[in-house]
Amino acid sequence: MTATIGPVKANPYLWPYDGTVDVSRTALICIDWQTDFCGKGGYVDSMGYDIELTRAGLPATARLLEHVRGLGMLVIHTREGHDPDLSDLPPNKRWRSAQIGAEIGSDGPCGRILIKGEPGWEIVPEVAPLPGEVLVDKPGKGAFYATNLDLVLRTHGITHLILTGITTDVCVHTTMREANDRGYECLILSDCTGATDPSNHTAALHMVTMQGGVFGCVATSDDVIAATEPSDHPARHPEND
Amino acid sequence: MPTVDAKPSPFTFELDNVALLVIDMQRDFLLPGGFGESLGNDVSQLARTIEPLAALMAVWRAHNLPIIHTREGHLPDLSDCPPSKLARGGIGEQGAFGRILIRGEYGHDIVDELAPLDGELVVDKPGKGAFYATDLSDILEKLNAKKLVVTGVTTEVCVHTTVREANDRGYDCLVPADCVGSYFPEFQRVGLEMIAAQGGIFGWVADSPTLIAALSSQEQK
Repeated sequence: MTATIGPVKANPYLWPYDGTVDVSRTALICIDWQTDFCGKGGYVDSMGYDIELTRAGLPATARLLEHVRGLGMLVIHTREGHDPDLSDLPPNKRWRSAQIGAEIGSDGPCGRILIKGEPGWEIVPEVAPLPGEVLVDKPGKGAFYATNLDLVLRTHGITHLILTGITTDVCVHTTMREANDRGYECLILSDCTGATDPSNHTAALHMVTMQGGVFGCVATSDDVIAATEPSDHPARHPEND
Repeated sequence: MPTVDAKPSPFTFELDNVALLVIDMQRDFLLPGGFGESLGNDVSQLARTIEPLAALMAVWRAHNLPIIHTREGHLPDLSDCPPSKLARGGIGEQGAFGRILIRGEYGHDIVDELAPLDGELVVDKPGKGAFYATDLSDILEKLNAKKLVVTGVTTEVCVHTTVREANDRGYDCLVPADCVGSYFPEFQRVGLEMIAAQGGIFGWVADSPTLIAALSSQEQK
């Protein structure tokens, strides 16, 4: 490929652990940027949380997406959701969502909550997938459980992951933990994530950095962009195609 | 049906659908001089879990309920240790209790106070989560366990990762706060808060005396 990433000024070490990584071995994972989690009338809005907190990472993520698309990096978007017949919805998950007044599968302002194909389940326009980018639909918080994500990553020869999305402490953290156990070298971006509770956002990022980087590293999108080095060949920009 | 007063709501289970998970109560993490302490951690924060956990395990055994112990560790040739994990240091090196986090070494085994009894299952895991690359799912299916009481160390790392994995797989998880420990009091607090947030997004939180009282009020199985 045409560029390398790293070393990125990250916490607690210069990312990645092996110095630099070719963009062809790196994927950008955009987790659950769905209307249900960051749009008006969606699931998180219905539960009474402030969606400005979950929307906070959208501008930086949109800018980073433009950057990595220019490098030809693999981009993967995930969506949390369930089949219309709810056959992949664990009963305890349904029960808990009902307790908090936003039952999964019930009608909301953006269609049936967290159901595949409904308006609320779609990714918001700011970071919408382009044709050809990978979409992973997941029934849980983690993007590896009951999905083909691991297969897709291995098929593309991906060893390093850069994580964005919402929410930091729930779906992004669960996915980062799953990826870390599978041996992927992970970087989570503080300005491209967000949580329904700001202190959970901060604590989740802090947890990553303990014990020498127990799940990987934390940086910002600017740090990643600054650590991008063109290789010998000119970068493949869409406008040059 | 035992009902435990818990956050964010009461947690119920049946004696034939519950299992106790005891995560990584290993010498390398808990003992002074071990791997955990060598990283600069305060191991006394973990040691306080031993007594309540021993009491909970005694009651659990008295009711003939299943206990599953886990151990984080790797094969002596490190063939199951991802390079990125190895690069962060420690694993496989010589420590105070043998090679650090290597299966078969003294430090890799569970502390004496909580040693598994014959017939109790021990799951060896290469990662933080107890489901990835292990047969825990099959074990729970055979036991007909749908409700898990998750204990051990550390709260925000291996306990949290396992609870998240279990939750996605449809298990109801109860975490007794006094039976899980973190080296960092702040992570203990927010780790427990995150579990019970948003209507119990990952599960329920209680304490072990409440759980024991709920269990003891039942007829012995």
